[in-house]
Amino acid sequence: MKQKIVYILVLAALILSACSGGAQTSTVRIGWSNGPDSLNPGVAWLAEAYTIYELVYDSMYDLNLDSTFTLSLADSVERSDDGLVYTFKIKPGIKWHDGQPFTAKDIAFSYTLYKAHDDFPTLNSYTEHFVSSEAPDDTTFVLTLDQAIPNLESKLVFLYILPEHIWKDHTEKAAEFENLEMIGTGPFMMKEYKPNEFIRLEVNKDYFQGRAKVDQAIFQVFASPDVLAQAIKTGQVDMVTELPNTSVESLKSAENVKVAVGAPFAPGLTDIIFNQVAPENCPSEADGGVCSGHPALRDKQVRLALAYATDKKKLIDLVMVGYATPGIALIPDGMGEWFNTSIKDFPYDVKKANQLLDDAGYVDANRDGVREMPDASRDLKFRLNWPSSSIIDPRMAELLGEMWKAIGIAVEPQAIEDDALTSKCCPALDYDIMLWGWVADPDPATLLIIPATDQIVTGYNETGYSNPRYDELYVQQGTELDHAKRVQMVWEMQQIVHDDVVYIIPFYEQQVQAYRTDRFTGWLDNQPKLALEDVTSIMLIEPVK
Amino acid sequence: MKRWRLIFKRLGWALATILFVVVLNFFLFRIMPGDPARQGIRDPRLTPASIAAIRVRFGLDKPVINCFQSLNPVKLGDCNVNPLDTQFFIYGRNLLKGDLGISFYFNRPVTEILRERFWNTVLLIGLGQILAIMLGVVFGLFAAWKARTAVDYSALISGLVAWSLPTFWLAIILLFWGTSVGFPIGGKATPGMSSYPLSQQFGDLLHHLFLPTLAYTIIYMGEYMLIMRSSLLDVLAEDYILAAKAKGLSVFQILKDHALKNAMLPLVTIIAINLGFTVAGAVQIETVFSWPGLGGAIFESVARKDYPVLQGAFLLIAVSVIIANLLADLTYSYLDPRVQVD
Repeated sequence: MKQKIVYILVLAALILSACSGGAQTSTVRIGWSNGPDSLNPGVAWLAEAYTIYELVYDSMYDLNLDSTFTLSLADSVERSDDGLVYTFKIKPGIKWHDGQPFTAKDIAFSYTLYKAHDDFPTLNSYTEHFVSSEAPDDTTFVLTLDQAIPNLESKLVFLYILPEHIWKDHTEKAAEFENLEMIGTGPFMMKEYKPNEFIRLEVNKDYFQGRAKVDQAIFQVFASPDVLAQAIKTGQVDMVTELPNTSVESLKSAENVKVAVGAPFAPGLTDIIFNQVAPENCPSEADGGVCSGHPALRDKQVRLALAYATDKKKLIDLVMVGYATPGIALIPDGMGEWFNTSIKDFPYDVKKANQLLDDAGYVDANRDGVREMPDASRDLKFRLNWPSSSIIDPRMAELLGEMWKAIGIAVEPQAIEDDALTSKCCPALDYDIMLWGWVADPDPATLLIIPATDQIVTGYNETGYSNPRYDELYVQQGTELDHAKRVQMVWEMQQIVHDDVVYIIPFYEQQVQAYRTDRFTGWLDNQPKLALEDVTSIMLIEPVK
Repeated sequence: MKRWRLIFKRLGWALATILFVVVLNFFLFRIMPGDPARQGIRDPRLTPASIAAIRVRFGLDKPVINCFQSLNPVKLGDCNVNPLDTQFFIYGRNLLKGDLGISFYFNRPVTEILRERFWNTVLLIGLGQILAIMLGVVFGLFAAWKARTAVDYSALISGLVAWSLPTFWLAIILLFWGTSVGFPIGGKATPGMSSYPLSQQFGDLLHHLFLPTLAYTIIYMGEYMLIMRSSLLDVLAEDYILAAKAKGLSVFQILKDHALKNAMLPLVTIIAINLGFTVAGAVQIETVFSWPGLGGAIFESVARKDYPVLQGAFLLIAVSVIIANLLADLTYSYLDPRVQVD
């Protein structure tokens, strides 16, 4: 009897092991909390979708983790003297995943498609200056613009090249094409996609930049971020792209798990926003302007005092559990050379803050703990609002309330539903102080446009700030072809925004990721930006021997 | 004959309720603040031209209904527009065609999204409910039969505890325990499983189903056990049970022929109502175990203001609750002759 059982068990073990897949394919499993929202590169919003596009498609430039660009599909590019015509020499011999040959005509087709579709939400601004995209022959691509711009690479990097032979049947309603086959030229091929469950990619052995070392990549969705920590601890995934900051400590002591921290791939900033619109800049009633901001916030001295009274280190330690870098300028520190490193921030100095307010005439005449306006018309009591979807803002609002109480400023904290807050914010400007944030594009222009005067009426200028010198610089940097000069302009703009205390930037959030050390090696965690799921890292990792 | 009249009457009311829900559904989402074309995203790259084009694609540029261009904020419009060209009638016409619109977020037809999620939810919740009912009835029966003994008291306490446990907490505890003994951390299937033989796929599915079903069963088993127990205790106190005992019938016979049928009645109602809400899924369990079900879809869509998906899901839930109640009504009137057919 015993012998029979042993025999059966051995047989079962053999069958099971034989069934568990064939050859030695190495598969890296990555966990994240949200799947690509669409396989169509024209309509997706999520960063995760772009991660997949980077792996399956190519665009003219690769965005490196130090914020520089490298030519990808082309060997060289020539710009005409007037800056309007770019000629790219395309590498020969590139193939689509279905075996069809890739030519410059596919590039011309793709750009024309992107330009023609207003309902591709984020790509409209990239194709703004395109006039024509032509392919005179299979290896030459010519792009003509209507204006000389300095940042063409950042416009092209997210315009993924699509196969004409597949997409030509979908040019009419391109935004509704689900693109379930996802044929690209990239280092991986899309094999299986279950929306909101997982996406499975197989390596493209003929990739023109050389094949990746790993055979397969699976990105799995875990609906709750707390589950991600458990997933990597138990080894069910090899890497997680994000973690709640609170679970990092427990992971640090886990076996075979390494936690990495760095600037996010799409750097962002958290900001404290002051409603400082001058009455003459208030949008008309027809345009939705309300402009109910507290008059004290229009005084730079008040904002400066608030800045001196804000302890950024405490905010980082308590709100972000230490996983953030101190904020200074409108451009986050993960943006490479664009970030102005020469700005000296206002230090945390409560005495100085009190001094500033006293000198400016905001005293607490009635001894109730709250200062009043110089003409005693109202208290310095500000509404403090944040979007209800934010996890960190309630704590931050609480801490700011305490810090500012020490200098005689009172706040009325209130979470408001995201959409309702947008309606109050801009262009209504119906608030005093808001907590929110922005995520950057590779090019600084998308963040720099926010404090421009002509954006008050469109609603992007959330503070109502208006400075002619700033507006002038913004226009200039948009056409300055000399890179060094442009960097100088961008630095000056950051200095202006800092000196005028348009915002208080408490911190720049860091990305926290974790990977297992016993499965794959070569994870790229020593770059300025941390994005282990990015194509740069996935191309390098190989199984631990 | 009376029965048929009853059925038709109930059916008529059910249809009227569904119609009411359909209309309410439509107006509810248009009264909420916010612009779905922006999807709640503040992005400077979103040009006014893009927003306008997106609005056209989703049909949001048409007037909501005659005389009203939009409901939030209330903007009056032309009362003389062709009513067939308003959002309301387009919505109704599409509904009759079975077209629930396109998801703002996924850019896919809502019917596809809901269909995938629907069967996932039915599988998990359906299995959980059946197990909870079976176990709840059995334990409730034991508890009532051995009333006021140690067995009864321990069953009562564990039932109460099970029913009052916070679902989210229980799910996470089970997840932590389960993953340490080899159960998967979430999802419905191991990625890449579809290339394996069906028997292995089935085993993999069961492997993934185990923990979420366990969580669901524990919670609901408590409810059914308590109701079964109290209902059976009531019945066992009746005179005709005493008479049956006096006649010399065995406990088993008493339960089978006299007590159970009457004790089951309240349970039938509760089961029907719970099954109706099956379709809504169990949001907490689906989130913790990353189970791709309807509950999770609703939860995510609320945050994203994905109105077409929410409209479709709400309609689905309303219809299933109405149908479940209808069946409960009819089953109850069939089982219990004391209920008058009017």
